[in-house]
Amino acid sequence: MTNPVMPKAHRILHINRETEMEYTFRIEADFVPEHGQFFQLSVPRVGECPISVSSFGEGWLEFTIRAVGKVTDQLFSMRPGDELFLRGPYGKGWPVEQLRGKHLVFVTGGTGLAPVKSWLNKLYDEPGMAESVHLIAGFKNEAGILFKPDLARWKERFSTHYTLDNDQIEGWNTGLVTKFIPEIPFDTFGGNYAVIIVGPPVMMHFAALEALKNGVPEEKIWVSFERKMSCAVGKCGHCRIDETYVCLEGPVFPYTVAKNLLD
Amino acid sequence: MNCDINIKQLQKNCWRQSKVPGEFMLQLRVPGSLIEAKHLERVVYIANTWGNGLFHVGMRHTLNVPGVKYENIPAVNAYIKDYISQVENEMCGVEMEESENGYPTIGARNIMACIGNRHCILANYNTQELAKKIEPLIFPSHYHIKIGMSGCPNDCGKGQCNDFGIIGQAKMDYVYDRCIGCGQCVEACKKHATGVLAMTEDKKVAKDACCCLGCGECAVVCPAGAWVRQPKKFFRITIGGRTGKHTPRLGKTFINFATEEVVLGVLGNWQKFSAWVLDYKPVYMHGGHLIDMAGYEKFKEMILDGVELNPEAKVAQRIMWAESEMRGQINVIPIGEHPVAGPQQ
Amino acid sequence: MGYSLNHRETNALFDRLAAEYKIYAPKRFAKQGRYSDTDIVRYDEIHTAEEIVWDQKSDFSAKEVLTPVTEPIFYFTEDEYRESGAPKKKILIFLRPCDINAFEHQDRIYLQNGGFCDSYYQRMREKTRFVLMECTEGWDTCFCCSMGANKAEEYSAAVRHTEEEILWSVKDEELTPYFAGCQEADWQLQFIEKNQFAVKIPEIADKETLAKLKKHPMWQEYNDRCVSCGSCTLACSTCTCFTTRDKIYSENAKAGERRRVHDSCQIAGFDAMAGGHGFRTTPADRIRYRALHKVHDYKARFGDYHMCVGCGRCSARCPKFISFPAIINKMSAALEEIAAEASK
Repeated sequence: MTNPVMPKAHRILHINRETEMEYTFRIEADFVPEHGQFFQLSVPRVGECPISVSSFGEGWLEFTIRAVGKVTDQLFSMRPGDELFLRGPYGKGWPVEQLRGKHLVFVTGGTGLAPVKSWLNKLYDEPGMAESVHLIAGFKNEAGILFKPDLARWKERFSTHYTLDNDQIEGWNTGLVTKFIPEIPFDTFGGNYAVIIVGPPVMMHFAALEALKNGVPEEKIWVSFERKMSCAVGKCGHCRIDETYVCLEGPVFPYTVAKNLLD
Repeated sequence: MNCDINIKQLQKNCWRQSKVPGEFMLQLRVPGSLIEAKHLERVVYIANTWGNGLFHVGMRHTLNVPGVKYENIPAVNAYIKDYISQVENEMCGVEMEESENGYPTIGARNIMACIGNRHCILANYNTQELAKKIEPLIFPSHYHIKIGMSGCPNDCGKGQCNDFGIIGQAKMDYVYDRCIGCGQCVEACKKHATGVLAMTEDKKVAKDACCCLGCGECAVVCPAGAWVRQPKKFFRITIGGRTGKHTPRLGKTFINFATEEVVLGVLGNWQKFSAWVLDYKPVYMHGGHLIDMAGYEKFKEMILDGVELNPEAKVAQRIMWAESEMRGQINVIPIGEHPVAGPQQ
Repeated sequence: MGYSLNHRETNALFDRLAAEYKIYAPKRFAKQGRYSDTDIVRYDEIHTAEEIVWDQKSDFSAKEVLTPVTEPIFYFTEDEYRESGAPKKKILIFLRPCDINAFEHQDRIYLQNGGFCDSYYQRMREKTRFVLMECTEGWDTCFCCSMGANKAEEYSAAVRHTEEEILWSVKDEELTPYFAGCQEADWQLQFIEKNQFAVKIPEIADKETLAKLKKHPMWQEYNDRCVSCGSCTLACSTCTCFTTRDKIYSENAKAGERRRVHDSCQIAGFDAMAGGHGFRTTPADRIRYRALHKVHDYKARFGDYHMCVGCGRCSARCPKFISFPAIINKMSAALEEIAAEASK
């Protein structure tokens, strides 16, 4: 009898301080997850929480974690060489293959950039994967900017709109991500495109409405949900919305499904 | 008005003088504030036959019939024989000779009680059942005692305004495995009681037992049945509360977590204590004054005489009275006017 | 095969079974009720027939035997998680038809949902045998007939309790040897055919109607009435929600256990993510979420039955007298309103 909730110890290889509040942990592991899947990270004595994979490679996974809870607070006191516990990967990731060869528009808010980071890097490395890549990445303020080297790199090959909600700094726009959606040349895509929206619930809601307003059909929009989870295997009930379990059928949903998921 | 009336005697028979000359108000005892409703028909009959058709809910939970003419008192006294016999002798087990002369004494005032746990969701004991056990200990007697009984520390029965308050308490058991860590007991304790509960790191509940009131709010709100009352009943006994013109004050805790046996033992000693303090001459004074006269130490010694305290019981080492002084330093008087306790020359 | 055993003989049977089985049944916990001098009836291990409460619905359901309110799942040190031990003996549970049907829902979530089989539930379930307690009258909160859960097939034995004897009907060959030498008796197991009332199960035609029902004013009254205590779901025989918590042993801060603890969608914070953001913030939201799960969402997911067996424990345990059947009926009425509005 295998135990689906048994966590296994993994060594922390490296910790990168993205911001005051967000660290990226590189962990020694052999999993090859789908872009957009998540793991249950666990610290004995503190608990477990779902964290999406922000990047992965040969023998390692990366998680970008915001210090907002008991588990994550504890994680922030850990050092390379320490062990944390993992189980996963869980959930359905981005339909990367289905969207191959399309124009891709990413709209992200804050840490919402993490669940699409590995995909963006793949798109960077394999330019043939997409017709074009447009990235609207928003953060609250300067202190909240994540993945600075990646953002700089992506600029080379993607059409980017980087924006801060409040701050005005050089090289950055000011305003909410929704402000830049009308600047995407949807009419030049010949219908062959997809819009990927990830971020806080309110941001996703308004970004989707803005995309629809700009003529994007519902079926071209994809989102990723964040919900409280305790088990990640469809037992604990926390993430259920109607007949859908976010841990099983999500966290990535086509907008046609997501629009009906009213908590 | 040309009657020769011994008001004091009538008062002893539970008749109260009216401002209307020659009229009196009957006060029927309702020990524990609960009787069979059929008795109300007797009250209606008395009010319509001899009274003025009105009924008053007595402030000590007696059934009051005002407007009875002096000359009708003997008839009413004869009529209430059955009531007294059924309520006192049969219901409470008071051993009293049945007579047509009404109540033999008003000394021990009616034992008031809230509805208690036969009805109330917060109460921790059956107030009336205990009242029935107390009644024969204090009645009939010319020595005064006022008792208020409450099912829980909310004290709706106003025990703290009485010589003795008997307040229901529960010792709580925490069924650790049933606790889901929702924190509702912690909130309830903070809101309604003394805030002795706290969530632990692992989302169970820890208790600072020192100051638990024993109110049982935790059990009332727990959705999982994780807080349960121990089957044994406990009581907080308060003493020395009173209303009045001079020095009203709330009663103070005498014993916390006393068992029923201790309650009955303490109240059973009251007459002896009163008699000693008053030199065996019953006069109407609040119990608190008697305790003041004797001093708390003497009271404690006499009232606990022969009482075996249960291990959970904690007794007040001293009492910090907090009187409302209607006039500054009303207690500072010439020494010769100080009341004196105990047998006099 | 049918048998008739008096209480003494039943107790002797329980003694024989004890070598192999732990027997669980509704048991009285005197004076442990919510209010003073009230009892609680809940599942616990029993050793005699006298301990079984026959004449009262248990306040809490039989699910607590398989998924205890607090269940350690791992013991951990700094560098290892060790799975908690499995029960050694088999388990025999006395329960009513609705309760047996409720386990179908427990099974579905724990053994099947999402293709994950929960090993903690499975190791208990494999060892569990049901003894059906005949139930022909029910109580005033029951509506099993409306939910089609008044009859059950999956049991190893069935019993009828009378003053003098306990009649047994044994289906499971594993149990038959224990009845060797017992007096045979021919009797027919009965099921309740009609409750004191029936509920009208709402039929929600499509997502649009569902969205309208969610926004219907019918839920608002519960903002005043419901205190979000969770009594309904904790007593529910089909609810499965739990949360996972870590406990550090006070004697050794480096060791501890990870445990599951029952949880409730009715309690504020059930859906709150790290950081505090929640989605259902009012009692009305939460009642709506629970009600729709019971009579819509679950069936929409799995296709066959609603996630309610009409045991009525939710109503019986509610300290504020919120009747779940009344909620169901109000949903049906609201849907009629919505349909009438749509056809205008």
